[in-house]
This record gives sequence, C-alpha cells and structure tokens, in this order.
Amino acid sequence: MSRAPRVQRISERFILSACRRLPEDMRAERCREWAAELPAILDDQSIRPALRRAGRALAYSAGIARTARQLGRAGRGARPERTSQWRTGAMQVRPANLAVRAAAGLVTWLLLVFLLIALTRAFPRPPGWLLILGVALAAGFDALCLAHIARAGQVRYLPKWAWALICLAQTPGGGIIYLSIGRPGRAPPIPPGSGPPEPARRP
Amino acid sequence: MKLTGPLERVLRVFLADASARRYGYDLMKAARLPSGTLYPMLARLEDEGLVTSQWEPPPGDGSGRPPRKYYQLTAEGVRVARLELAQAPVPARHAPRGTAQPAPGSTQ
Repeated sequence: MSRAPRVQRISERFILSACRRLPEDMRAERCREWAAELPAILDDQSIRPALRRAGRALAYSAGIARTARQLGRAGRGARPERTSQWRTGAMQVRPANLAVRAAAGLVTWLLLVFLLIALTRAFPRPPGWLLILGVALAAGFDALCLAHIARAGQVRYLPKWAWALICLAQTPGGGIIYLSIGRPGRAPPIPPGSGPPEPARRP
Repeated sequence: MKLTGPLERVLRVFLADASARRYGYDLMKAARLPSGTLYPMLARLEDEGLVTSQWEPPPGDGSGRPPRKYYQLTAEGVRVARLELAQAPVPARHAPRGTAQPAPGSTQ
C-alpha cells in the first residue's frame, strides 16, 4: 500500500490550500481538525479496495475546500473592510516583499527562456509530440493562472480582468508576472489600526 | 433553525447516543453526508450553541495519529434536536413503500 501516504500528502496539501481562505482566527485549528480525519478515511477497512479509499479521501478534501469557501465568505461578511483593498491601496506590498517577488518572477522567466533555447538546440526540427506537449503545457499554465485569479479574493495593483488579459496575452510571461506580483499573499495584511491586533509572527 | 434533510440526519445520528462524542468522518459515514455539507452545518450548529467540540488528548498508542476533534450536542442542542425531530415528518424508511417520496438524498 504505497499509495496511501501519497494520497494523504496530496489531500493534506489540498486541505492546506483550502484553509487559506478561512479567516485567520480559525485557520490553524480548522486545518488541524480536517487533516486529522484523513488517516481515519485512508485506514477505513470497510471501504475496499484501497483505490476507493483514496477516492474517498480526495472527495473529502474537495468537500473541505467547499466548506472553507463557505466559512471564508461568512467570515468576510462580518469584516467588510477586507473586500476591496486593492482599490484603497491598503493591500500594497512592502517594497522589500515586492522586490523579492519580482526577482523570483524574473528568475523563473529567465530559466524558462534558457530551457526553451536548450530545447530548440536539442530538437532543431521538433517532433510532433513535443509541439503538442508544449501547447498543452502553455494552455495548462494559462488555465492555472486564470483559475487562480478567479479564486483569489482580491488581487494587487490591477483589477482582475486586467490580470486575466495579461495572462492570456503573453504566455507564459504574463502568468509569471501575475503570480510573482499580482497574486495576493497568503494572509492579506490588515490595514493598521482597523483590525484586531496581529498575532505574533515568526521571528 | 430550518430543518433540512441533511440536518435532520445529523441530528438523528447525534441523538442516537446523545452522550457519545463523534468525530467528523464518523459523522459523515453515519449520516451519509459529504464533508462539504457536514462541516458547514457543524460550524453553524456550534455558532448557535447546539453543538460543542473538543480535541481528544493525543493518542498514546504510538501510532503517531494526529489528535481529532470530537463533536457532541449540548444540553440545549439535545432539547432543540428532540423538538425539531418530533415535528419532522416520519422518515421515509418507516413509511410504506410507494406512499411517500423519500427525502432528497436520503438512503432507501
């Protein structure tokens, strides 16, 4: 049963990313609660074969994502000041943070360019499967970026439709710019003075 | 509180043994509900003070299993649940076949 740990890891990551939509005050506890149910599902001997247990665990994680969306919406309703921060500028990243993100995006883009150059050297006349693979990867990346924009509560600097346009217009550069700069942080910063005191951060 | 089919099933599971503590997957199986229905409901019931939750102490059996959260009806929850279920229509499985539509999503 080498499958179970992998399924558990995938489900845990899924739950973890779903938990980011929760209000901060309940995030850690909910995440622990939901992840703790996974071993119970994956060890449930009344569901056979193991493949069905794996399916059950993934379906469970999908339900958790729905739950987190619902609870996140309910939490945001209670705190309306969080909704449109990109307009007010309250969500501006700190310059240091922005520089790191932009640098990471640039490095990713450069690596990709080098990879493309290396590939064109290795295959001067690219075989069909490579072209298909390339197009599929590009389309998948675009879809990923659009899904990310659609799911994000708010994005930085530009309205969502503008980011979506950028992602589509320049594959993959636009998507990389969005993911490095436009993507909201994991926990949107609360403007000073308007929210509860921030919990202690990692030193 | 509006008594929907899923809510009714969760309350029945809780009332089957009001003193039992139940964890999420246990409830999902007993009430035959997906996690996306059960957990929002539990959160609402907890907000309304009808259900309380508690972390189990870390299991000492060396399995390394993370501690689970257990749910239980509060005294008020037991009262409200009994009241609501008493007013609810008879569940489909007690009714003669063909006379009543089963509740949406219920098991035959």
